[in-house]
Amino acid sequence: MRLFWSFARQSFQSRAMYRFDFWMEIISVFFSIYAVYWIWNTLFAQSPGSFEISLAQMTTYAVLGMAMETIFLPWIGPQVYISEQMKHGLLEMDLMKPVDFQFHLFARNAGETFFRFFLLFIPTLLVSAYFFDFKLPATFLDGAYFLVSVFFAYMILFGLNFLMGMISIVTINIESISWAYQGVLRFLSGQVVPLWMFPASIAGVLAVLPFQSIYYVPISLYIGELQGVDAVRAIAIQAVWVVVLMGLGRFVWSRIYSKMMVQGG
Amino acid sequence: MDTLRIYLKLIRISMKARMQYRADFIVGILAIIFINAISIGSISVVVTRFVDLNGWNVWEMVFLYNLYLLGHSIFSLLFWHFTSMESYIIKGTFDQFLVRPLSPLVQLLGREIQYLGFGDVIVAVTGLALAYHKLNLHWDVWQFGYLFLIVISAAMIETAIFWLFACISFWTGRSQSTFWVIWELSTMVQQYPIDLFGKWFRVLVTGIIPVAFMNFYPAIYLLGKTDQYPHYTWILFAAPFVALVLLGLASTVWRFAINRYMSSGN
Amino acid sequence: MMIKVENLVKEYKLQNRKEGLKGTIANLFNPSFTVKRAVDDLSFEIKEGELVGYIGPNGAGKSTSIKMLTGILTPTSGTVEVNGIVPYKNRKANAQHIGVVFGQKTQLWWDVPVIDSLVLLKDIYKISDAQYKKNLNLFNDLLELHEFQNTPVRQLSLGQRMRADLAAALLHNPRMLYLDEPTIGVDIVAKEKLRNFIKEINQDQKITVILTTHDMGDIEKLCNRMMIIDHGKMIYDGNVDQIRRTFGMERMLVVEFEEELADFEVPNTKHIRSEGKRKWFQFHRLQTTPSEIITAISSRYSIVDLEVVEPEIEEMVRNIYNGELVSEEVSEG
Repeated sequence: MRLFWSFARQSFQSRAMYRFDFWMEIISVFFSIYAVYWIWNTLFAQSPGSFEISLAQMTTYAVLGMAMETIFLPWIGPQVYISEQMKHGLLEMDLMKPVDFQFHLFARNAGETFFRFFLLFIPTLLVSAYFFDFKLPATFLDGAYFLVSVFFAYMILFGLNFLMGMISIVTINIESISWAYQGVLRFLSGQVVPLWMFPASIAGVLAVLPFQSIYYVPISLYIGELQGVDAVRAIAIQAVWVVVLMGLGRFVWSRIYSKMMVQGG
Repeated sequence: MDTLRIYLKLIRISMKARMQYRADFIVGILAIIFINAISIGSISVVVTRFVDLNGWNVWEMVFLYNLYLLGHSIFSLLFWHFTSMESYIIKGTFDQFLVRPLSPLVQLLGREIQYLGFGDVIVAVTGLALAYHKLNLHWDVWQFGYLFLIVISAAMIETAIFWLFACISFWTGRSQSTFWVIWELSTMVQQYPIDLFGKWFRVLVTGIIPVAFMNFYPAIYLLGKTDQYPHYTWILFAAPFVALVLLGLASTVWRFAINRYMSSGN
Repeated sequence: MMIKVENLVKEYKLQNRKEGLKGTIANLFNPSFTVKRAVDDLSFEIKEGELVGYIGPNGAGKSTSIKMLTGILTPTSGTVEVNGIVPYKNRKANAQHIGVVFGQKTQLWWDVPVIDSLVLLKDIYKISDAQYKKNLNLFNDLLELHEFQNTPVRQLSLGQRMRADLAAALLHNPRMLYLDEPTIGVDIVAKEKLRNFIKEINQDQKITVILTTHDMGDIEKLCNRMMIIDHGKMIYDGNVDQIRRTFGMERMLVVEFEEELADFEVPNTKHIRSEGKRKWFQFHRLQTTPSEIITAISSRYSIVDLEVVEPEIEEMVRNIYNGELVSEEVSEG
């Protein structure tokens, strides 16, 4: 645990975020929130009957989806770090550290995510509460579910990103693949469009993929759309994904690692 | 003319360099097609469910999206480099440009060709053709000519905007993050009719960062939606002028910015 | 006169970066700046055909002053003239008659064969066919360019890449050549080749060369004049002979022991410093040999590792401040 904190702190501080970048990021988040806010408001005014939830729930869903991108930002994940290290031939340096590779990357990423949680995510929600009808969860339980679920969502995303990183070790250049990956994350995770709005056939497919656990599940818990048994089951499924993805990551890594040792990097 | 000749040679050598990574080339283009398909798909999911959005039906929105994309594809093929201005400055590549007897702009633009733009072209042409068919449009020659003019203007507008913002990195050493904001704005404009977002947003993307001229205003004319927007008149045809003014502005600021870079260093 | 520099000054504005969480937040809201004088009242002249070593510790202002000479930067005050042209006012004219090689970074197109880059440079510098052919032959003779001219730059060895870069920088027959760390990371054989080439083009074509380097070997083998800069000021401008007399015979033996030891003396050496388990001993090559020193030490202590190093530039700078080295005029020739 000590080790975890020291890695996390290191990445937290080395991430001396540029002032300019910080403000630009804040501005773009608010543009994206502004956009979804207006779209749902317009659609709700057009045909309120087509929604299964209230307008306040819908806008809260939309705002939260955009705000969560500040912590789940795909450009800061372990896959970015791995591919950078690969490009500069520095990955071997990480292998020499007497630390589990996956754990090392997790701590690194956690440090940065922590930073973003407090400096971007929370302020974004506070401002949104004032301007964009962002509501607190209806019950304490919903809020608690959300926090647990967000943590699992983060782990799932990390697991997926780590696997992307493994791909980058094999192919070296992942730029184009990661573009496609971003697209998948944004649209199949329910970040923008809630899953229940998709045609039943597509929604069925999305339900068995891990992506919905990243945005759709935590947000639905927050707005109280998933309740009782459904809520617990959704979180349980998340937990299963965490185990599966992290385990898969370790497995793939161990294969690649032993291959690297044989080839001498 | 001499400069143009050298530019073309630079482009040719960049193409040659790019072709060394053929697999990446193909995967990249497939990825771009995939992303666009997903975006269009998810817009369609929502709009189909509600029949229309603010008076725009699904295929009108597909048209809007792809009109933007076609102009954007020219920008991304030939002028994408402005988005990497920051790293050219930080890594000292720009300094290398300055020790050669050739305009830094030509050296920058000749540096590489962003092949992913080919994917945009494929999607945009397909999307526009489908929308044209599904919307039962019947344009005359002039309207096709106007479409062509709009695509060129759109490319110039986007180029000029990124060129202008790239100049910021001469002051701050950084400009990458300003592009996040422009991208966010562009995505909104590309995907939705902008009057959806209220008055001040319309002012922003018309008068300040005028991306709305890339698709929204011309599309109203091309799709014959003038009845829905009776108070828009000349603005539907203003895109080419906006493009020229912006390019003029950008080239002036660029010259100024280089002087400033040379006097302050990085 | 090839280069004339008078009272050259360059100032930068730097943001102060604060540490820790509080600092990170403070940087976001209330940044503070300080002005740094990177080049501080620099004056010198370089005659046509000279080969000058330009050295100094990291951050001393070397690259800033080179940037002003090459026309990348405008000075805060003072004047620069290169071959009668003010570089920053007339960048393109200046670029036409200078060649620049950055050792750390190639000027060539990374993914295409060397020869493609050269053909492109021929167009950029408007080189005539005859001149191009003649120079290519010269580079084939002296740099063995033909051995790798069809290989993409990314596949070249460091030594080959430097040779290609030198060819690219000299293709348009510049009168002035700036070399920034041209031998960095290159193995000894390749280094020797590069040095011979630089010497040859300097003597045959009377090309004026400014060479920045961390390798004292480059200076000793190539230059007859040396300028040392520190904190933006010139602290030595003169003969290399004197440096060679003072440092040519000086070597440093770095010894790592099994444990941290108290300082002790070894005959015929000067103990310079200690750092943890390591100690630095300076010696004169005519007075003693490394093996003598090692024998003397190992009879009393157990040695883990050792290394003989050339004098460092930092060491030289220290000597200048101590008054052991004084600038003197370069003798003609």
